[in-house]
Amino acid sequence: MQLFFKQKINIISLLMVTVFMLFNIWNIIYNTPMVLEQHWAQKIFYVHVPSAWVGFLSYFVVMISGLMFFIKGNDYWDRVGLAAAEIGTIFISLVLITGPIWATPIWGQPWIWEPRLTTTLILFLIYVGYFMMRSFGGHVERVKRYAAALGIIAFVNVPIIFVSVQFWAPEIQSHPQVEIAKQPSDILGPFLISLGIFTLLYALMLKYRIHVIKIKNKVVANV
Amino acid sequence: MFLTLLKKELFIEFRSREVILSMLIFGLSIILVFAFTSNVSKVIVTNYAPGMFWIMVLLVTVLGVHRSFSYEKEFDAFSLLISSPIDRGLIYLAKWISGFIFLTIMEAIVIIPFFKFLLIEYPSDLLLSVVTTLLINLAIMSVASLVSGIAMRANLSEVLVPILFFPLVSPVVIAASKISAGIMAGEPYQLWQIWLLIVISIIVIFSLVGYTLFDFITEE
Repeated sequence: MQLFFKQKINIISLLMVTVFMLFNIWNIIYNTPMVLEQHWAQKIFYVHVPSAWVGFLSYFVVMISGLMFFIKGNDYWDRVGLAAAEIGTIFISLVLITGPIWATPIWGQPWIWEPRLTTTLILFLIYVGYFMMRSFGGHVERVKRYAAALGIIAFVNVPIIFVSVQFWAPEIQSHPQVEIAKQPSDILGPFLISLGIFTLLYALMLKYRIHVIKIKNKVVANV
Repeated sequence: MFLTLLKKELFIEFRSREVILSMLIFGLSIILVFAFTSNVSKVIVTNYAPGMFWIMVLLVTVLGVHRSFSYEKEFDAFSLLISSPIDRGLIYLAKWISGFIFLTIMEAIVIIPFFKFLLIEYPSDLLLSVVTTLLINLAIMSVASLVSGIAMRANLSEVLVPILFFPLVSPVVIAASKISAGIMAGEPYQLWQIWLLIVISIIVIFSLVGYTLFDFITEE
């Protein structure tokens, strides 16, 4: 099997994503305006929201892969599901780290039971269980089915968790995400660029990880 | 066929009484611990009582469903069960409804010690409390049975069940605490009806998802 970065398209994609991401960081630091009362803390918004978008997109891919795995019975969808779950959890961890960093100076405390953050935390915990299942579950073929089912259940549960947390703490609705559409163009522009670049990064990571898992499965099967 | 499977679950349990007895003793032990650690004013305990009750129920549920599914591992009974020509989704439904019955029996017995040991008053509207508790039990068991069905034949199932169950059941816990707190405080239905809707949504979603997925999960 050819190495992932031996393929021209992949090395070009890697170079492009690296350049785009460096540009994105430069753009966020130097070209976005300082928001009154938030100063540097606001800059984290350009990383936090795209990470959340990629995380939830990735978990959506896990659900779709789970469904496809059950319908087609093809191992490819199991690899996609596992790769998406891993990458999604990395980005969701980033959300859970950057959220409190932003919240400490702005809300005066690192954590409040805000619906989006809480939903993200609960989803993160479900996926910790997902990886434990993958690691310690035992019988490989059975674990693939359990993981597919769990990926579907976890995503189906998201709207219920969100609604219940929203009604549980109705006074905590200060999350700035709802105001994105109202942001001025010098904030909205870099934000959308960052969102696009994070999505490209995600696509590359997913492709790479699927490739690695395929090789790993082959090696394990031959041992 | 569903009734046959349900009868099988109930027959095994009422002959051995392992699940209900272990749930009952564990539930009473938890209430005792709560009583020892909540030596504060009656008002504070009353405020925390719904949360305490549902924490107790969740812990007991984990024990119950794990035991209920462990039966199936003995002599590889589950393989025989799924190799029989039945709709596997019905196995989930039978586990769900039998678990609901065991949980309700356990609650019916521990509810009096719960109020007496914590020295708090019974809710004024008992009928409403019973109806909402039954719905919440259905919701909790719909999640617990599905999680147990997934984790049952995995290694470390006794660790995986609580780790997967608690985050997945969190909307039910929030709703259950809010409903019970509302009833205990004598609040009108309009103030907590949204929580009842969340509980009913979970029952509908998890029963459908569980029924559909169980066929794939149990495939050999």
